[in-house]
Amino acid sequence: MIVLGIETSCDETATAIVTSDRRILADVILSQTDDHRPFGGVVPEIAARAHLQHIERLTTQAMDEAGLRFDQLDAVAATCGPGLIGGVMVGATFGKAVAFAANKPFLAINHLEGHALAARLSDDVAFPYLLLLASGGHCQLLAVEGVGHYKRLGTTIDDAAGEGFDKVAKMAGLPYPGGPAVEAAARTGDPARFALPRPMKGRPDCDFSFSGLKNAVRLVVETLPKPLSGCDVADLCASFQAAVADMVADRTKRAIRAFPAAKTLVAAGGVAANQTLRATLTQVAAENGLAFAAPPGRLCTDNAAMIAWAGVERFRLGLTDGLDFAPRPRWPLAGGN
Amino acid sequence: MSRRLAVMARGQAEAVMPMVAAVLAEAGLTIGDLSAVAVTVGPGTFTGIRIGLAAAKGLALTAGIPVLGVLTTEALAHAVPPGQRHGCRVLAAVDSKRAEIWVQTFDSDLAPLGPPAAMTPAQAACCLDGRVVVAGDAAAAVLALRPDWVRADAPLDAGVVAGLAAAGNTHPPQPLYLRDADVTLPGVK
Repeated sequence: MIVLGIETSCDETATAIVTSDRRILADVILSQTDDHRPFGGVVPEIAARAHLQHIERLTTQAMDEAGLRFDQLDAVAATCGPGLIGGVMVGATFGKAVAFAANKPFLAINHLEGHALAARLSDDVAFPYLLLLASGGHCQLLAVEGVGHYKRLGTTIDDAAGEGFDKVAKMAGLPYPGGPAVEAAARTGDPARFALPRPMKGRPDCDFSFSGLKNAVRLVVETLPKPLSGCDVADLCASFQAAVADMVADRTKRAIRAFPAAKTLVAAGGVAANQTLRATLTQVAAENGLAFAAPPGRLCTDNAAMIAWAGVERFRLGLTDGLDFAPRPRWPLAGGN
Repeated sequence: MSRRLAVMARGQAEAVMPMVAAVLAEAGLTIGDLSAVAVTVGPGTFTGIRIGLAAAKGLALTAGIPVLGVLTTEALAHAVPPGQRHGCRVLAAVDSKRAEIWVQTFDSDLAPLGPPAAMTPAQAACCLDGRVVVAGDAAAAVLALRPDWVRADAPLDAGVVAGLAAAGNTHPPQPLYLRDADVTLPGVK
């Protein structure tokens, strides 16, 4: 089975072709980061314009790389939410049109389900597993029992994990996007220099909070001489990253207790590309008798291979969608427990 | 051979492909029978233009046929019945969701008098002399200032869009936004 995937929910325009035996025949990603960097974040209208400008060329590129014609596809999958709706509509409508013209089924994919199932594409992880989904828009712990069967164990009560990194980067004078910039700066920093709080740590639930941590970083920045020295920036980033890893470890341990059926701890989403976080989660999993899996960085940040793969998973179960599927700016993967 | 119209402020992303399927079925055609796909490129609602172009590009790429762009304002002008525009100039006015509207003017033979441009309804109301027929979803704003001008009887029609493209009256299949994305650089007031 061969599925074309299309992803346009944020600031990456991406197309990919994936097979049901877990081969990635094409994986094309065009990052718009340079278009948005001057504004310090993603501008929805600029993103939507760029998606339309590039979607056709990137689809052709994926088909060429895979050496396929449209009639050789088995289905077309496109992200239909959640995300910036102007961009989602471009990818969803384009995907529907390709599916219709190729006379193939259309699969409306929840972007979060793409992240949630990506480790099954990269590492063939079996159900059930515990998922930490941490990205620019989300931070949640999910019990994954099967395709379409997700139970939310905990979520952020304020900012997403990636937002925390972006805001700390801004305060430290680092460029957007903040995740890679903070991680790079933290490499030479002292994670113990600044005593930052660990919000939510020790609470009986599995929820997250990044707002207080962000404010604590702001207060520290106010005490430091300006402009910030390279050493101060490195120590600040390292201390922040350590606080995030510590909090995530604590929350994940709670979730392991709440979902004892899990055999594997899986991390996904852009923030799961952070090496310190991966190391921490590897240790948490080992201490609790779980395997640990996280897709390679390219499959953690936004991409279309995970969308095509979610399409494979859903198509195998007969879960196709109509061409009248309405794109959804908000689309929770699961309700609370 | 077949046409459909639904007036909607939103919901185009779910409506457009079923509508394409219905029109082809009614005409007894498949996508492989088409020589090209024509689509309005604007001026108009940014999201609406993108949905139309995304659908057209997806269809055309897959079917291996070209996409032909048609100006929304030209399609509006050409939708005015010949009897109504006889001896009149035509002004096509499109809502921009801002104070300004998008306007293109045409002579009585529907030759454009200039490209589409952004202007206030007051500017639009004094940009032509003589008898004028006003078409488009911003027509009311202009007619409120020019009660002597006449409102066009016909709405925008995909049949007119296809006809204009078939007659070679085409533009690049890229959005005609006529306005930059609304965004302010940090620190810039």
